[in-house]
Parts: sequence; C-alpha cells; structure tokens
Amino acid sequence: MTIKYHNVYLHSVGTVVGPYEHSGPLARRFDRFYDDLYMNELTFERAEVHLMRESIQITLDKLNKKKKDVNLFIAGDLQNQIASSCYTARELSCPFIGIFSACATNVEGIILAANMLENKQVNNALVSVSSHNMVSERQFRNPTEYGAPKPESATFTSTGGASCFLANEKSEIKITSGTIGRVIDMDQTDTNNMGACMAAAAGDTIYHHLVDLKKKVSDYDLIVTGDLGKYGKDILIEYMQKEYRIDLSQNYNDCGIILYDTNVQKEIQAGGSGPVCSALVMYGDIIPKMQRKELKKVLYVATGALFNPTTVFQKENVLSIAHAISLEVVE
Amino acid sequence: MIYFYSFLFCGTVCLIGQIILDNTKLTPGHITSMFVVLGSFLDVFNIYDKIVQTVGGGAMVPITSFGHLLSHGAMIKANDLGLVGLAMGMFDFTASGITSAIFFAFVFSLFFKPRN
Repeated sequence: MTIKYHNVYLHSVGTVVGPYEHSGPLARRFDRFYDDLYMNELTFERAEVHLMRESIQITLDKLNKKKKDVNLFIAGDLQNQIASSCYTARELSCPFIGIFSACATNVEGIILAANMLENKQVNNALVSVSSHNMVSERQFRNPTEYGAPKPESATFTSTGGASCFLANEKSEIKITSGTIGRVIDMDQTDTNNMGACMAAAAGDTIYHHLVDLKKKVSDYDLIVTGDLGKYGKDILIEYMQKEYRIDLSQNYNDCGIILYDTNVQKEIQAGGSGPVCSALVMYGDIIPKMQRKELKKVLYVATGALFNPTTVFQKENVLSIAHAISLEVVE
Repeated sequence: MIYFYSFLFCGTVCLIGQIILDNTKLTPGHITSMFVVLGSFLDVFNIYDKIVQTVGGGAMVPITSFGHLLSHGAMIKANDLGLVGLAMGMFDFTASGITSAIFFAFVFSLFFKPRN
C-alpha cells in the first residue's frame, strides 16, 4: 500500500552517536558524540534515553523551537516495552504515540506522522528513534558476561539517538510517498543472520512501491535499505533480479554498511543495525547531500526483523517487515 | 611430560569446541552443555579419573571436569545411601566451585560496571 503526500516536509534533523559510530566513516556528520557508552548516566538504559532526549533538543534548537511547540511526538526503540521512548516522552508533555517494528521503526513513525500532517490533523510532528548496543546485547543478543564469539553474519546494534521534525509548511525536502510493508516469513530461525530474513521484506516493499507509483528504479538517485548488512545487501540484489527482474546494482546501498567501515572496525561484523542505524545514515549523510542537491530523489526502505527472545527459544521463525518513504528535493 | 599432556588434552577440548562453533549453528551454550554431558559420561569405569591422573590440570580446567564431578559425587553418595544419594551427592564436589562463582560475581559487581 503506497500513500502519496502533497504537503509533508522535513524541516530539521538531530543526531547523537556513541563511540563506534563516531569512529566510522561518517564521524564528522553527526551533531554530537560520546566516547563512552554510558553517556554520563548510571546505566545503559538511561544512556539510551539520554541519546534520544538530546537528539530532540538538537532538532528543535536548529529551528529555534521549544518543546511546547511540538504537536505530536512519535517514537520507538528496541528496549523491552519501548521504555526509552516512553521515558523520553515523559519530558515532552505533548501527545505521544509509541511504535515498534524493530529497525523499520523510523520509517513507520514518519509514515504515521505524514498521514496526520497530510490531513492537517496536526501542523507538525517530531519522530524519534534510538538504540543502544549494550542494551540490545543484554536483552536479546549476547551479554558481555556470556563471553561468546559471534558468527560473521551477525549485525551490530548501533548506539545513538536520531530525531526529525516534520511539518506541513514548505521546506527544501519533501516527503512524497510512503509504502507500508507486509510481514514476511522466510522460514528463518537464525537471529545471527537477520540480513537474510529482512532482504525478502525489503524486496517486497520496493517492488510494491515501484508498481503502485508506476516508477522504475532509475527514477531514484539512490535507494537505501535500513540495515541488511553486507550479506543481506548481496542477497537483496540477487533476490530482486531473480524474483522481479529488477536491477538494483546501480543506485542501491545499505545503511548498515555506510555507517561503519567493516574492514577496519572488525567488531561490527556484517554491518550496523537497530532503529537508529538507518536514521543516522539518512540524517547524517543522505539528507545533507539532498540539501546540497547532490541527490534529488531518494527511496528510504527501513527493514526490521520481528521476534523476541522467548519466541526464538520456542523455535518460532524470525519474521521481517520493511516500510519505505520517498523523499524529494523541492526545486 | 605431564605439562605436555595437559596442554594437549585441554587444547583438544577447545579445538573440538571451536570446530563445532564454526561449522554448526550451535551456540556456546549448547557446546558447554555437550561437554558437561560428555565429562559426566566419562565417569563410567572411572575413565575421566584416569585421564586426570595422566594429564593433570589440563583435564580439571575445562568444563568436562564439571560433568565428571557431578556424576562422580552422585555415584559415591549413591553407594552409601542408594537412590536418594544420587540426588544428594550431585553437587558434593562442585559446591565449592558454584559457591565461589556466586560469591565472586557478587563481590565484583559491587566494584565494577559492565563494559562493552
């Protein structure tokens, strides 16, 4: 399902990152960074709230707006019961929608906000996401104390907070459409190979987006997927060619690979992941490139692996979903 | 010579673990459990005791030793007390290890924060 938007604009973005993101190739593109995973807080969980809160502050500061100017706050993260978003929302005291679709959360939030902006139900909306490497490791990957090596195909949860401010007043970047994805089951059970699970969901969403809008891949200057990682990226290119006869090899990249240099940063393994991973690359790298008119039309496909630790132990499949939005530079 | 055997035995156990880890989808949790069961099984005919006599510490450090001690303790108590002894003796030899693991975990958690 693809929805077209006529008056939804992106006004400002804010990014705060942790040490691994700051030592990656995009180091200088982020608004603020921390060298320590605690971000001057007592626990990793509080550190994540800190990241999201700061990214909101930066986003609003760039527009000289106050917290009370925000009409609607939509946020999501990877913590159990999206705790990080809820604790951030406590300080904003504006209407709040908490959302979850794993690493596809950011685009889900933007689509929700865009619909309400398009219908003039709100005049502006703030969409935030966060994730924290150690929170995820503790919760559903391998805690440090487990002391276990990870396979090559495993991805690395990014640490950071990212926010964007959307409004129906004109700005230089317009959100032109949003495609809501379906839940896809590829019969995968390996949580250390989420790229493979998510590639099919990304493929499905890209295909339906192109068909719904009668567009071609070449209509976009860049198509980016959320966090398939280096193996997932290759799988998607092959899958698109085989399943839909669509050639992605020319103008396609993956945020999980852009955020880190996997050749130097060995601990990253297959690439970055987490809701904030694609948001950091979009807001830190791709949106500025659009502002400089280096890129004009971008399709942003965020992919999420849907599972929880209990369902995985009960041998349920790891499901996946992908949502997409298209962005355009306003001439 | 015992140093060499010790090195060889412990190294082989680790090698098997690494090979399993690299070539299957089993997690470290699975592998540790398998080694415990294996060590426990080797208590039959006191095989593991003989290994310990030959290679020394190399056989007492890896997790297989934990399995061996579990069944060894259980069997000794079972000789004295029958079926009830099986359950009573299970943790006889491993109790000190488990207690110190809990104790030191507690002590260190007081002084240190988790790191990446």
